[in-house]
Amino acid sequence: MKYSSYVGLEIHIHLLTQTKAFCSCAARFGDEPNTNVCPVCLGYPGVLPSLNEDALFMGYRVAHALGCELSRCTIFERKNYFYPDMPKNYQISQFAAPLGGAGYFDFEVRGGIKRLSIRECHFEEDAGKLVHAGTMTFIDYNRAGYPLLEIVTEPELVDGEEAEAFLRSFRRLVRHLGVCDGNMEEGSLRCDANVSVNEEGRGLGVKVELKNMNSSRFVRMGLDYEVKRQTARLKDGRKVEQETRLWNENRDVTETMRKKESASDYRYFPEPDLPPFRPEEAFLARVRDSAIELPLARKRRYLEAFALTEEQAELLLEERAVADYFESAVALGADPRSAALWIVGELRAQLARSGVEIASCALDPSRFTSLLKILAAGRIQTTIAKQVLRAVLEENRDPEDLIAERGWERISDRTVLASLVDEVLTREAAVVERIRSGDRKPIAFLMGEAMKASAGRAEPGALKELVMERLA
Amino acid sequence: MLDELRPWSGLLSDRKRRPGYEAYAADWEGRIGAFLQFAPERPAGADAAPAGASLDARGDFLGVPFAVKDNIAVEGFRMTCGSRILENFRVPYTATCVRRLQGRGALVVGKTNLDEFAMGSSCDNSALGRSSNPYDPVRVTGGSSGGSAAAVAAGVVPFALGTDTGGSVRQPASFCGVYGLKPSYGAVSRFGLAAYASSLEGAGVLARSVDIVEAVFRSMCGEDPLDQTSAASGRSLLAEDGPPRSVGLIKGLGGLDAEAEAAYRDALRALEDSGLRLVELDLPLLDYVLPAYYTIATAEASANLARYTGIAYGRRAAEAENPADLVRRSRTEGFGDEVKLRILLGTFVLRSGFQDRYYLKAQEIRRAIRDELAEALRRVDLIALPVFPTLAFPHGDTGMDQFQQKMADKFTCTANVAGLPALAVPTGLSKGLPTGIQLMAAAFREDRLFACARSLAPLYPVPEPPSFSQEFLK
Repeated sequence: MKYSSYVGLEIHIHLLTQTKAFCSCAARFGDEPNTNVCPVCLGYPGVLPSLNEDALFMGYRVAHALGCELSRCTIFERKNYFYPDMPKNYQISQFAAPLGGAGYFDFEVRGGIKRLSIRECHFEEDAGKLVHAGTMTFIDYNRAGYPLLEIVTEPELVDGEEAEAFLRSFRRLVRHLGVCDGNMEEGSLRCDANVSVNEEGRGLGVKVELKNMNSSRFVRMGLDYEVKRQTARLKDGRKVEQETRLWNENRDVTETMRKKESASDYRYFPEPDLPPFRPEEAFLARVRDSAIELPLARKRRYLEAFALTEEQAELLLEERAVADYFESAVALGADPRSAALWIVGELRAQLARSGVEIASCALDPSRFTSLLKILAAGRIQTTIAKQVLRAVLEENRDPEDLIAERGWERISDRTVLASLVDEVLTREAAVVERIRSGDRKPIAFLMGEAMKASAGRAEPGALKELVMERLA
Repeated sequence: MLDELRPWSGLLSDRKRRPGYEAYAADWEGRIGAFLQFAPERPAGADAAPAGASLDARGDFLGVPFAVKDNIAVEGFRMTCGSRILENFRVPYTATCVRRLQGRGALVVGKTNLDEFAMGSSCDNSALGRSSNPYDPVRVTGGSSGGSAAAVAAGVVPFALGTDTGGSVRQPASFCGVYGLKPSYGAVSRFGLAAYASSLEGAGVLARSVDIVEAVFRSMCGEDPLDQTSAASGRSLLAEDGPPRSVGLIKGLGGLDAEAEAAYRDALRALEDSGLRLVELDLPLLDYVLPAYYTIATAEASANLARYTGIAYGRRAAEAENPADLVRRSRTEGFGDEVKLRILLGTFVLRSGFQDRYYLKAQEIRRAIRDELAEALRRVDLIALPVFPTLAFPHGDTGMDQFQQKMADKFTCTANVAGLPALAVPTGLSKGLPTGIQLMAAAFREDRLFACARSLAPLYPVPEPPSFSQEFLK
């Protein structure tokens, strides 16, 4: 008997807004507990929510990027359930008319491209956070009221590998959109899943909800475990129970959290405190105008138009700012392949060391391009180019000026080089003697010394010729 | 400033007049228990007037005291909602409607009693105090804004604010013989009103004159960024296009007791005498208003009252096994029976699989009623209705039981279901008890209510309860 597995995901992203979804408190993590709170996000009596339109705008942008149908009249609803970290004991969410309807997302997996259908995107607020300490429980409401977008996919994935690949691509998408930092460990991107297994050709099986997977790796592990567990049960002739299970990252297994019977009835009804949101044409136009080229499309363009390697393209596209930087340089006339090489190599390493963002570093795309052109023209050595790059970053100067001022241009004048070589050979007479008596090894040492004497500026070919001539 | 408000201005800071005022208020309080908090020595509002603003420009109510129902937030006072669960809750903000009055110089002198969380029609559902009718203390004030109505009727304040979810301003106003306005939905910001049924309720005004009601209403209304359901057009739509010419009455109206029926008939004659054309209206959907009203009200209440857990504020159970147990115990101890009943009902009607039968059907009825009334109000300028099927009834079991009281809301809750403005107008006394009539207009046509009430005013002088006096103002 063959079995098919069906995996769907529910992804929550924290939208990167200045303020919370329904009040003017700062939407910021890591502050002292209960400092970014007000009567609205604490659910005091008599206060009312005020919609943060920026947050909703971000939600529409994500929905647009996922090819979803954008709602012309989206409704907020109350999702009712009691939980100690929920200030109002209902969550303002969406149900009947979410902001984004059916859409899709293409992502790479197993060397190909898979298209996953998106069921809907809806806007909601986050709850606070319970902190347990011994027999005490504390509540931090800083997170309460933080704007979230939930993206629900159809159950069209088959295993953990696909889910992980999707999640990584999706994470890159929201980072490129600039609406979420995508940090799963800090909970700004969270992923729950539903899994079912059934005999091939018989459609969906009994659905199990899976929670508590706090990294894309755990998503993969949890789903693979769950597919295996359910398949094994069916093979044994047992049934799969409808339930919610938690991934236990210490034991690498999934465990029952609650059975179906205790599932909640959320008693959704329209939020009377918030009128339906009917985006005006100008709002939707802004959504469309702020659309970005999807990272996957961009990657294919890099491979085809610029002949970059798969790895270079991936590295450039990790951050949208890096990819933008790359394209600016190319537009200014930089050679795409060497630009890619330098960006993902030396530049990235230097920026990582100093903690400066690429978009604001002193080596702007135009300076970077001129440095690459100087290098390509053979006017400086590669090692010098690295030196120039660092100097520009540190001193915020033009590469051309630095090279001129510090005399870093390459030396190819044979008379100048000859005098350098002669100096070294005279100094290292003993080594020269050894070579002449047949030991060829120290030749490299002499080359190095000569290069050092030129402060790295000597043209290596000419230098080698001169050394060999003198030794002959 | 209105002439009739002038004597009140500066009363609280007047060392000569205040003792007389306090004595008068204390005398009434002993009999009617209108207030849960009364603080003439430290009223709230003096700081709210914008610094440097000219007193003439912002002073329509300069130094005039008023009372506020205790489910409306006023910084400086507790907001108890008449409930044990909020008995000691100090509220750190002020409702927009109150703030706007304070901005014009008015001073909150106290917080008035109410049915717990505004759920009731007698004020007897208050967990924190008992209020009685100034005309006969064995009878109720009506509710839920009973304390506000009693305080105004007794002349302790020139006006008071209440909230009206299904008649909670108009019915006690009528029981106590004063005017009671429920504005159009959205005309006045709900920010600062402890929510019971958000889509039905709003702040209203009780006073002994139409002029005061109108002045207060005009000061309170208008869009508020803190309430996204408040209407920008609140003020601009106060068109004044001459006095209303026609008034509709409901065909086949029944269920009134003898005194209420007689008062209603008398008022209709008075309307006719004042020059209005009476038009009989057939509004068959009105029979469905009450079930739709209670379905929607309790559904919203079940969510609105879910926040009272004793965790972040309010009464907290002394002992609990875990957070869930803490919430359960705090709510069990903190809420009264009527509140629990409505929370349970609301939870019931929202259950998945049952929404079609209850909540969604109620919303359908609501839309249909709104349409039917809008249509009717294109044919007539106003609709006249009774306020309540009885006059003020006695406290306790000899009066009306909770179910009868709910059934009796049918005349008032129509305006809430349809979002329309309505005004209770006092029409004198019958056997020593106040009577009244209710006028209803199209949305944002409060002006028609005021115009009609003014034309009735000469026929129906506002009654005064025994021992009523305003001597302390002199």
